[in-house]
Amino acid sequence: MPPPQNASVITIQPLATLSPPCSSRTWQSTPHPTLPVIATACSDRTVRVYSLTSFTLLHSITGGHKRSIRAVSWKPGVKGQSVLATGSFDASAGIWRRDERGLAEDTQRERAGDWDGDEEGEDDDYQFSCILDGHESEIKSLSWSPSGQYLATCSRDKSVWIWEELEDDNFETIAVLQEHEGDVKCVAWHPEEDLLASASYDDTVRLYKEDADDWVQVAMIDGHKKTVWWVEFEGSEMSARDFRAHREGLSEQRAHHVEQLERSGPRLATSSDDCSVRIWRRKPREGSAQTSSRLGMPNIIRSVAIDEEWFQETILPQQHERAIYSLSWSRRSGMIASAGSDGKILVYKERWKNVMPNGVKADGTVDHSDSDAMEGVENASLTEWVVVAELFSAHDVFEINHVCWAKRSDKGRRSEDEEVIVSTGDDGEVKVWVLEER
Amino acid sequence: MSAILSADDLNDFISPGVACIKPIETLPEDKSNAYEVTTEDKVAASQPPPPAQISLTDCLACSGCVTSAEAVLVSLQSHTEVLTTLDTHRSLHTPWLAHSGTNGTKHACNGTHNGANGHHCGEGKLFVASVSPHTRASLAAVFSISEAEAGNMIAQLLSGPLGLKNGGAHGSDFTWVIDTNVVREACLVAAANEVVTALSPEASSTPLTAGSEGAIDTTPKKPILTSACPGWICYAEKTHPFLLPHLSRLKSPQALTGTLIKSVLSQRYNIPPSQIWHLAIMPCFDKKLEASRSELTSAAWLPHHSSSQDPVRDVDCVITARELLHLAAARNIAFSSLPRTPLPSSQRTPFPDPKIDAFLFPPTRRKNKDPIAGSSGGYLYHILQTYQAQHPGSSISVSRGRNADVVEYSLVRNSETIVKMARFYGFRNIQNLVRRLKPAKISKMPGARVGRSRKPGANGAAGGEGVKEYAYVEVMACPGGCTNGGGQVKVTEVEEVRAAEGIKAVNGDVVVARPGPKEQKEWLGRVDEAYFSGSGSDSEEEKVDRDGDWGMKDVDAPTTNGSSVPGADVVSGISRTHIWNLLSHWSDTTGVEIPKLLYTSYRKVESDVGKKKQSDVERVAGLASSLGGGW
Repeated sequence: MPPPQNASVITIQPLATLSPPCSSRTWQSTPHPTLPVIATACSDRTVRVYSLTSFTLLHSITGGHKRSIRAVSWKPGVKGQSVLATGSFDASAGIWRRDERGLAEDTQRERAGDWDGDEEGEDDDYQFSCILDGHESEIKSLSWSPSGQYLATCSRDKSVWIWEELEDDNFETIAVLQEHEGDVKCVAWHPEEDLLASASYDDTVRLYKEDADDWVQVAMIDGHKKTVWWVEFEGSEMSARDFRAHREGLSEQRAHHVEQLERSGPRLATSSDDCSVRIWRRKPREGSAQTSSRLGMPNIIRSVAIDEEWFQETILPQQHERAIYSLSWSRRSGMIASAGSDGKILVYKERWKNVMPNGVKADGTVDHSDSDAMEGVENASLTEWVVVAELFSAHDVFEINHVCWAKRSDKGRRSEDEEVIVSTGDDGEVKVWVLEER
Repeated sequence: MSAILSADDLNDFISPGVACIKPIETLPEDKSNAYEVTTEDKVAASQPPPPAQISLTDCLACSGCVTSAEAVLVSLQSHTEVLTTLDTHRSLHTPWLAHSGTNGTKHACNGTHNGANGHHCGEGKLFVASVSPHTRASLAAVFSISEAEAGNMIAQLLSGPLGLKNGGAHGSDFTWVIDTNVVREACLVAAANEVVTALSPEASSTPLTAGSEGAIDTTPKKPILTSACPGWICYAEKTHPFLLPHLSRLKSPQALTGTLIKSVLSQRYNIPPSQIWHLAIMPCFDKKLEASRSELTSAAWLPHHSSSQDPVRDVDCVITARELLHLAAARNIAFSSLPRTPLPSSQRTPFPDPKIDAFLFPPTRRKNKDPIAGSSGGYLYHILQTYQAQHPGSSISVSRGRNADVVEYSLVRNSETIVKMARFYGFRNIQNLVRRLKPAKISKMPGARVGRSRKPGANGAAGGEGVKEYAYVEVMACPGGCTNGGGQVKVTEVEEVRAAEGIKAVNGDVVVARPGPKEQKEWLGRVDEAYFSGSGSDSEEEKVDRDGDWGMKDVDAPTTNGSSVPGADVVSGISRTHIWNLLSHWSDTTGVEIPKLLYTSYRKVESDVGKKKQSDVERVAGLASSLGGGW
């Protein structure tokens, strides 16, 4: 493999450290879907909700869990209130609510628009609303489906559970998936379909869908050599935002590749103990089945059609030296950030690959027959991922447990779409970083 | 949830979990001078600790590692255990029975054996087998035969001339092969009686004292939950003790068959229960757990049982359909080549009590013909029909719940709902049931601020009112019920089993290279079909009565009610009077009160792990993370 071509024209600069920091390890920070706040899961059994405007602590959610809170997830699409799910090593998940109609924050209110704020004391806090138990051991991750209808949890007990909220605080277990042979580290939902992915200590990623009342495994991704720590889907309709955005003057081959990607739908990224980040893509269905699924074309043999095939599209430049605990696929730029045990933060970007001078084919030459191109596999080499920014020792000597992109909301914001990177470390600190062009 | 308890899967064996505390719990023997000064080295050298022993019960009480319990289990109850027992002990035979028939004194059945047959008794055992209808259905689907034929073949294997008798050290075989469906009739009647009595307005609502939840002499609380599924019972006892007051106290058909066989035979033949060896053939690996329960031994019913005697289990060994085939193969018997016909009545040994003989070996057999009753023995449906018989003009309405494994039944009359019941099969549905039965206070997180806008008592279990209204809930751990038990031949194994038996795919079966969920469902459909119909492609044969053969024959349950009075004696072809007469007779014969024979108890299984030793858990957690992010 040729040495990764670093297009390091960008540097990662510190913007802020959320304060006050936690005195013990922090696990994960998840930005609110609409408000400029971020929730951090802490090993001191609390969740800290910080402002991304002032970078200070707004709320401390305490007194629910008996052990470390490992994961947090905001319910999407809720009006008038914020709903947070917490997953803990005490084997339970908690649901917390906060009324946002009377949003009373001492931070800049202009972003909150029409919310008017009058202080309501206790009501201002997150209120415990229900507990979901059933797992036998530590919950490692949890995630709401994009519609907010389902909540997935996974645990060291090797199982993945899907809960459905029938009405407020009335949750039903609709699936207990026991396909994994080891600790399940992470769960993630597809942005457009009710398709769930889980990553595990058994080195595999599994995908599940509902088939006539029953959630079943529809695909198994086998490729990582060690524990898969993180799994995350690409955002919806990213082709309008990433390298595919400029369609003019594309060669037929590249245009075909873009079309193939569209048919596959959002891709999947995974990070692992084997120090690699990999991108996986769904093999488009034969004929028009895939594209017609949204048109509600009846499929007679459902169980047969439900199986999916995912193949490895690429491995990102391998510049981590130890386990990669987390990655984040930007919904705005299509860039990927990764971080892990070696304390590094890496940012990768996908671009069209330039044809090598010694390449046999000149760019734009079409020598593939249509049927070959349908396989979609050889087209993978049309693009490449390059590391555009790298930062060492982001949390001093400590491991980075989680990294994510968030919308920039402080005064220094340079554009509506600007993003920050938020890293969560073993040192109890949550740091906010900006990308600076050199 | 139980499929993991399979001998075939033992390659997943793991060493005892980190949390297993049992081996280190040895008390130092205090025999030396208490004041003697010594060094730690000396102590360590001089007193080798006794070998650690981990019993099945220890393992079950611990959530640390399941597979160790599994290993113990499988080694204790497997087809090899059956072979070993048959090879070690002669089977006791009829001439001996004829002499010692009923002359034994009524209660002299503890320890001493009949002098006249001293030699035989010393090493002989009376072998009895009981077979579940689900196992028969599974084998019927594998070999494309009828359920009754599968039953005949099992009987041929266990006690026929071409069966086990032909091999082994002593040519031992089984004297009786009993259909658990027969004993199930008693279970159904008793279950209906338990529910009707417990929920009648006259029922005394004696307050439960702490610790007595689940005891044998307490009345279960509404909704009463089925207790015949051992996987479910194990789960409830270990993780949800608040459910114990709801559990039906009734023994399962397997357990009741065991008690019946051992108590009657030991009394009639004047032999100790330990000389009777009872094998059960079941759809479920967890039935092995049930057989190991200390509540289901002779200690529970043997009159004058003294603590010095070792209690004898009512069921000595449980095997599944797959293991039954292994058993045949181990003796070089091709199961598929066994006659599909019943054993001739001339070879049959009558059960030493004519009334019980007539009950256990009826001339005709009641079928599980009603799919509405479900695939797990039909408890709910029988209880509901009993209520219906008490309420003339009422009708049963059935509505499917969220998925096929949740079904709600109500008995209605003129828009009035008389009683509501439901069926919850499968672990995910059990979760929802359990959560709704959970007392509100347990659901709250201690110390958490509770939203003031929330309704009091609202928790993850909201919407629980519906569940609490049920009079009875039929709970089974397996999705699809007992026909889909963990011990049944799986769709992935069918081809392998058929190949081993030298059979090609039959009836136009399409061989699927890698059976998926769809094939699994289709396969389960065929097992269900066998279970409900009891007839296969060539059912005509069974109707031929081969003059006095006593084998299984399919005859529709008598539907003539005898009396036109609603609420009458016969419900679903089972006569209540007949069953209670039989139970009284059994009680009189053995001198044990009926409740002691019929009911059992449940107890909270407490795990030490993670409680007193919280700090250990944290220490391990810390260790794991220091080794590179074990979490």
